[in-house]
Amino acid sequence: MLEVRNLSAGYGGRAAVRDVSFTAAEGEILTLVGPNGSGKSTLLKALSGQLPALSGEIVLNGTDVRRMNRNAFARAVSTMLTDRPRTDMMTCRDVVETGRYPYTGAFGLLGKADRAAVEEAMALTDTADLAERSFGALSDGQRQRVLLARAVCREPKVLLLDEPTSFLDLHYKYTFLELLDRLRRERKPAVVMSLHEPELARAISDRILLVKDGSPAGYGDPEALLGRESLIRQFDLTKALWDKYHG
Amino acid sequence: MNAMKKRIALSYVLLAGLALLFLCLGISVGTASVSPGDLVRILTGRGGDDTAAMILFRIRLPRTLAALLLGGALALAGYLLQTFFHNPIAGPFVLGISSGARLMVAAALIAAARGAIRLNSGVLAAAAFIGALLAMSVVLFLSGRIPGMSLLIVGGVMIGYICTALTDILVHFADDADIVNLRDWTVGSFSGMKGESLAVCAWIVLPAAAAVFLLSKPIGAYQLGESYARDMGVNIRAVRGAMILLSSLLAGCVAAFAGPVSFVGIAVPFLVKRLLGTAKPVCMVPACFLGGGVFCILADILARTVVSPGELGISTVTAVLGAPVVLVIMLGRRGDRA
Repeated sequence: MLEVRNLSAGYGGRAAVRDVSFTAAEGEILTLVGPNGSGKSTLLKALSGQLPALSGEIVLNGTDVRRMNRNAFARAVSTMLTDRPRTDMMTCRDVVETGRYPYTGAFGLLGKADRAAVEEAMALTDTADLAERSFGALSDGQRQRVLLARAVCREPKVLLLDEPTSFLDLHYKYTFLELLDRLRRERKPAVVMSLHEPELARAISDRILLVKDGSPAGYGDPEALLGRESLIRQFDLTKALWDKYHG
Repeated sequence: MNAMKKRIALSYVLLAGLALLFLCLGISVGTASVSPGDLVRILTGRGGDDTAAMILFRIRLPRTLAALLLGGALALAGYLLQTFFHNPIAGPFVLGISSGARLMVAAALIAAARGAIRLNSGVLAAAAFIGALLAMSVVLFLSGRIPGMSLLIVGGVMIGYICTALTDILVHFADDADIVNLRDWTVGSFSGMKGESLAVCAWIVLPAAAAVFLLSKPIGAYQLGESYARDMGVNIRAVRGAMILLSSLLAGCVAAFAGPVSFVGIAVPFLVKRLLGTAKPVCMVPACFLGGGVFCILADILARTVVSPGELGISTVTAVLGAPVVLVIMLGRRGDRA
């Protein structure tokens, strides 16, 4: 269970996102929806430990994450990052294997359980046939799926995804939803992600957190928060503009 | 997977074989030639020529071992700097770190000649380490403010020039008697290695190299980029600090005992990575050390045979062998992100 209480985070001591509170239980999917620059990425960075929180608390299964050591935190929370990894001479399998890092010994070599988790994650993300390919030679969509496999093979309690569908075509967008569904049934991580497509968010999420101008603008039921009125408000549209294309 | 392991194993066999071959060549080649028969007799302690034995054990063996040790140190220092800056043409020489170390060593040598301090190998190494760290901190300061990896290298080269100029000025003001020592050392050579300084070198380089190897795991995570390393639970500050200290220690040690040795730190990791077919630190670190040793013994053999009975500066040879590799790296990266 992930509980976030009054969390503020930002750069240079200035909060880019303020006073966020939510909970995500095992197997639940919480989706952040909001305009570009509203603070979704900043929030995800704070949750993943990339950015220290300015105030507020992040509590994981009853423990404040500030009291967890780095390795324990890394085992519990896995992120699909948006920046490109530097993967000089690495195959896709090599890249996925780096996800198991917190479980490996002194020299980072993988054990049997690690290898099994890697293969399973690659099968799950439909990347098994890319295993021996050079990561640098992949298309955007393939890269995204490999990075997802990397995040998943850690078998985390909390899975954080920043716009995981941005480079995927329609086929992989829906495959991705199916994958998330399977993941939450079988592994039961709490998933917090940001999505740009309201229709995908509505289809998969247990709860929605609307973020606008760095503040929460709504939290709860996807049907209510992703309806016409709410979206028009959230994305500064006009009714005329909306209706023109949704007539 | 298996093909990969085979390639890595073969690479190690090749490197170890080359190291052994060049070690033997290093102690048998020179102005006074020692026949292979004599060599075997001397090495196995079954007699042979006394003068030849003296040359072998007192002069050539320490020199060749020094080339192995310091070559390995240089390659590792280069590897650490390339990883640290995510820049394949970073190295102790081009970033001015070697020159910073040399400046402090020159200061120590002159202070000793004036009777201000008592000189031993430990003091030299300490002076070099401090000089390397000072230069490194300037590089770090620049790297935070200069965008792009090529400009960082230009900044490092400038630091190198400044330190070299200051060293020249120091040498200029030294007494004639001190200069004899300094001149030799400003050219760069493994010839000055006597038993004591070799031992000090080994005491610094071997533990430092072992420490780098033990850091393979976090270094591998750091290679992916800092956000990835953080996601994997790596203490980035600690790893960065360790990489700076170790690369300064290794590069400083070389600068103190062999003077300027250029391009080994860039060429060797690049060539070794190509040979291994992987950039994984667990494989790279020992292979770089071996490769650096092989490279420098070869360079040393060339330095003393090409213009025999004269001798070339070691840097002259390593530049001829290593600088083209740097060009190849730069050409290979054209079109990649800058």
